Amino acid sequence: MVMGYRVGIDIGGTFTDLVYFDEYSKEFHVVKVPTTPKSPDVGAINAIETAKIEFDKINILIHATTLGTNMFLGQEHLNPPKIALITTKGFKDVIEIGRQRRPKLYDLFFEKPKPLIKRRDRYEVEERIDANGNIITPLNEEELQKIAEIIKKKDYEVVVISFLHSYKNPIHEKKAREIIKNLCSNVDVITSYEINPEYKEYERTSTTVINAYLKPLVSNYLKNFIDSLKNKGFNGKFYVMQSSGGISNIKYATERPAAFIESGPAAGAIAVAYFSKILNDNKVIGFDMGGTTAKASTIINNSPLVTNEYEVGGEVHAGRLIKGSGYPVRFPFIDLAEVSAGGGTIAWVDEGNALRVGPISAGADPGPVCYGKGNDKPTITDANLILGRLGEKLSGGLLKLRKDLAEKAISKLAEKIGESVEEIAYGIIRLANTTMAKALRIVTVERGYDPRDFVMYVFGGAGPLHGVELAEEMEISSILIPPSCGVFSALGLLLADCRVDKAKSILKDIDEVDEEEIENIFIELIEEGLKEVEGFEEIKIVKQIDVRYKGQSYELTIPWTGDLKELADNFHKKHETVYKFSSLEEDIELVNARVTIIGLLTKPEIKCYEVKEYKPKPESYRKVYFSSGWEETAIYNRDKLKPGAIFEGPAVVEEYDSTIVIPPDYTAFVDKYGCLRIER
Amino acid sequence: MDKITVEVIKSSTSYIAEEMGIILRNTAYSPNIKDRLDFSCAILSSNGELIAQAEHIPVHLGSMAIGVKNTVDYLKKESIEIEKDDVIIVNDPYIAGTHLNDITLLKPIFYNDEIIGYVANKAHHVDVGGYAPGSISSNVKELYHEGLIIPPSKLVINGKLNKELLNLITSNVRVPKSTIGDLKAQIASLNIGVERILKLIEKYGDREVTEAWNKSLDYSEEYLKSKIRDINCICEAVDYLEYKDKLININMKIEIKNGKIKVDFTGTHRQLDAPLNAVYGVTVASTSFALKAVIDPDLPMNHGIFRVLNIIAPEETIVNPKKPAPVSVGNVETSQRIVDVIFKALYHEFPDRVPAASNGSMNNVIIGGRGWAFYETIGGGFGGRNGKDGVDGVHANMTNTLNTPIEVIENEYPIMILEYSLREDSGGAGKYRGGLGIRRVYKMLSDCMLSIIADRIKISPWGVNNGYSGACGEHYVIKDGKKIPLSGKDTLYLSCGDIVEINTPGGGGYGSPYERDINLILEDVKDEKISIKSAYRDYKVKIIKKDDDFVVDMEETKKLRGL
Repeated sequence: MVMGYRVGIDIGGTFTDLVYFDEYSKEFHVVKVPTTPKSPDVGAINAIETAKIEFDKINILIHATTLGTNMFLGQEHLNPPKIALITTKGFKDVIEIGRQRRPKLYDLFFEKPKPLIKRRDRYEVEERIDANGNIITPLNEEELQKIAEIIKKKDYEVVVISFLHSYKNPIHEKKAREIIKNLCSNVDVITSYEINPEYKEYERTSTTVINAYLKPLVSNYLKNFIDSLKNKGFNGKFYVMQSSGGISNIKYATERPAAFIESGPAAGAIAVAYFSKILNDNKVIGFDMGGTTAKASTIINNSPLVTNEYEVGGEVHAGRLIKGSGYPVRFPFIDLAEVSAGGGTIAWVDEGNALRVGPISAGADPGPVCYGKGNDKPTITDANLILGRLGEKLSGGLLKLRKDLAEKAISKLAEKIGESVEEIAYGIIRLANTTMAKALRIVTVERGYDPRDFVMYVFGGAGPLHGVELAEEMEISSILIPPSCGVFSALGLLLADCRVDKAKSILKDIDEVDEEEIENIFIELIEEGLKEVEGFEEIKIVKQIDVRYKGQSYELTIPWTGDLKELADNFHKKHETVYKFSSLEEDIELVNARVTIIGLLTKPEIKCYEVKEYKPKPESYRKVYFSSGWEETAIYNRDKLKPGAIFEGPAVVEEYDSTIVIPPDYTAFVDKYGCLRIER
Repeated sequence: MDKITVEVIKSSTSYIAEEMGIILRNTAYSPNIKDRLDFSCAILSSNGELIAQAEHIPVHLGSMAIGVKNTVDYLKKESIEIEKDDVIIVNDPYIAGTHLNDITLLKPIFYNDEIIGYVANKAHHVDVGGYAPGSISSNVKELYHEGLIIPPSKLVINGKLNKELLNLITSNVRVPKSTIGDLKAQIASLNIGVERILKLIEKYGDREVTEAWNKSLDYSEEYLKSKIRDINCICEAVDYLEYKDKLININMKIEIKNGKIKVDFTGTHRQLDAPLNAVYGVTVASTSFALKAVIDPDLPMNHGIFRVLNIIAPEETIVNPKKPAPVSVGNVETSQRIVDVIFKALYHEFPDRVPAASNGSMNNVIIGGRGWAFYETIGGGFGGRNGKDGVDGVHANMTNTLNTPIEVIENEYPIMILEYSLREDSGGAGKYRGGLGIRRVYKMLSDCMLSIIADRIKISPWGVNNGYSGACGEHYVIKDGKKIPLSGKDTLYLSCGDIVEINTPGGGGYGSPYERDINLILEDVKDEKISIKSAYRDYKVKIIKKDDDFVVDMEETKKLRGL
């Protein structure tokens, strides 16, 4: 390959982060520019030009965006397409009833997510397949023909077909698509068995509908973006980051836009996984805190934990998604814990005169009080400023923080509660940290792990301000701040592989199947998946089966080695690990077959430097507030800390777009990769 | 101790209850817990006062507090010494506070050889014996018919499982595997709760932790008082449950005055020889839920609010029965009606905050055959609200369990679901209409027994502020071609091929339907949520079909609405 640049672009809600690897100098560089919400590609191109990269020298460009999520947040300029849904007769309301659960127990004015397809756009056709795949009622083609005529007449852009048990026997969905397509050749027809051939009708239908909902917007966006790039001379390869942490080429990205709804945080988890490998950390929590939310991924043996179901637009409680608060999507998502806490989260005093933090955020505009853009409600960032943890300049001097405004805002809370300004500011930080730490702990425990066994990697604009104290709350003794921690997520874009995930329901007892039958399912899935990783020299294939005890509703995903007995043994062991019990005498059921096909990319190497221990000289000193009160604290410049630097807290390390706080009793050390490792 | 540390300890305690819930769910065996989340976990003081609770089902809310206190009192009275690493098990509804299926486990938190608190959890077990599969039937007359009664007993003694008691329990239930698995999960949950509390004490000190707990109760008490400080009212209402040919009245008078709330159920129907009785714990839970929902959804739920509440429920009434009156349906249906009657009364004082009646039933469907048992509840319409329609097809009031996916049912049971849809026109007409009920139709693929426990079949969910009532529930069995109506509480045998049709109630409407925005009516007609006929009759809007679309005949509508 001709030398040039590898570029990762992460378009967030506020900033567009670009990280590129210069193949000539073997160095990484970062650029941060404002996001242009109405035309996110404009901001991306601005980033490339700001970085002074020549377009024709970009060999690979990998992209992450919140565009899909923004559609669900109801942004005005994003218009959904006109979609029709065709279901089995009697079941058009499955998509609306959902799981019949209200997301909030006590709120009499609660709302469920609005159905993405109005009832008038949902059609039913007589057909029925049973749970074994047998045809109970043949597809009523005459009825379907009439529906096709309506679809043509009403100018639908997309049609979704979702019949019961189509994961078992898709013959009716296939025939229905054929009939629709014959009469409405310009309509995009999407079937549920193709998008998500797994059982549970609501989730399968929802996944398919969300793909349909996003497809025209995402297709147009990607096409326009690539056209703009090509007009400027780009002729390299273009990939999109998926929520699974793998990248996908443009063709399949447009087919399954729901697969990259959470692509930004996924990239962050990939970066963590990469560093955990080169640093030999087997259990890592990756913690990313930005302006509005904090997110955490779990990396075990250098691989992030992945969940196969997510709710777009959902709300969180105690770190986890509230079931029924969003729209289910069944694709692999890196399993993220989420808390509504970020730099812009607002602190307030409730009617009982107690201090509260969140969940409302000032976001980035108007942002914290100290930004001076008109907000008068104090935020976590304001508290950090008052405590001296944040200096008065941010993001390389682009932003000046107004301490006087922050102090005025927090003193209002202090008067109400009857404590000093710094006590309230510290209280804001303590409450935020307690909430985040407890939520992250719960999520880790929920997945069967003990947080004390982990190292915590901390990044994001606000993460390193809180990371060490958070880790202490979680009884984690080792914290690592990677290089360029403010834009670390974007780095993950350059460290990812191409990834395709395929799944198919089995729903049979382990006694009812033989190994050949299972192998045939995998062969089918692999053949399908290999089409999507064309052009990669090295391919890795991972085969897994979702297994559960019969009568249970939870599955564990177990590697498939080709041996059913081994599968059973490994299932019992894992069940014991995660759920604290196993039942050797219980019948086992195989639920889904899963294949992950990975096309391996040659990755840029993180440079390794010689380590010479030395004691760095602080740039300056200032008072910073910790649990021990005000402490004279050394201030360091991250760019000047070389591998081998070793120093003790209290300390603050400042860099381009993030600030690292190291409390008393901790020691910090810069390793050969430029990572800051902080331990007690 | 400073105020921030109090908040940190409060928050940490809440998260410990949450973590107990995670462990319980993770390690539980049965779908009731894992999927439907029918359990709660709590942390209580040494007096058995509720400090923090992670709840998923509101009916567990107040009952946990009462149940633990009753249990602690029982142990003292019976001179049962509770030791470190003991676990108490109880499901007697007259002690534990809900119904026999809900088994409560309790473990003391010992610190320096002294009990400083308790951790507890309550989980719905799929079967505890008794007359019917699932232990819930409308055809029983005594508590003893409903299942095995477990008074407070030591399930774990000094850290070791009491095998004799466990064997006694599993010998009396239909699915012993589930029972054992779920009990072990409950024990694991308690163990983590104790461990985490001790860690909290290690960090902040035991005196500080108990002081923070007491302050959190004071805080809740003051918070609730501040919310009702300016209120001075007496409101009354009566609402009804249905049983056979009778209407069972629940009378309620609420008095809010001088920072106190008195809820008096005097006049409520005497207790029945039928399982509609709600033990006092259920009455407290329902009352707490209703008040929290109306006064402030963010009201912290701990013992502090019970200091402000005085709940008078005369003995031997259906809201405070005497043993051995049966209670299984009280937990699921009477609780709904208690909430409804409180909302109905509070409407007079808080007309902007209280919605019209929701569907008011858990719509329980229990189907069992040889070697299998299926149980689910079905949502319905939510009441119309001030400024918003009611939500279609959700659970309301005291329940919030997930439905069972059709493809799961059909993979695991000899049942075929023929329909699952919203009921057109079932939402009560109003400026803000009630939510629609659900239709769910089952075809039996083998012989079996059906129990249905539902309500609001005779008396419809009421509208408010000139809103109309929501549609009543209508339930049928179609056998040999004949459509047979079912009463709300029925048990019968079905043959292979029989069909069961459940139509759940809609919510009541809020405000006059004549004031409903015409565009909203047109939208609902297009979506077939309101029919053309209803638009004309109930809303005085003439809508006609024209070229495959619906349009408003504005001229005729103006006449109808007198504009």
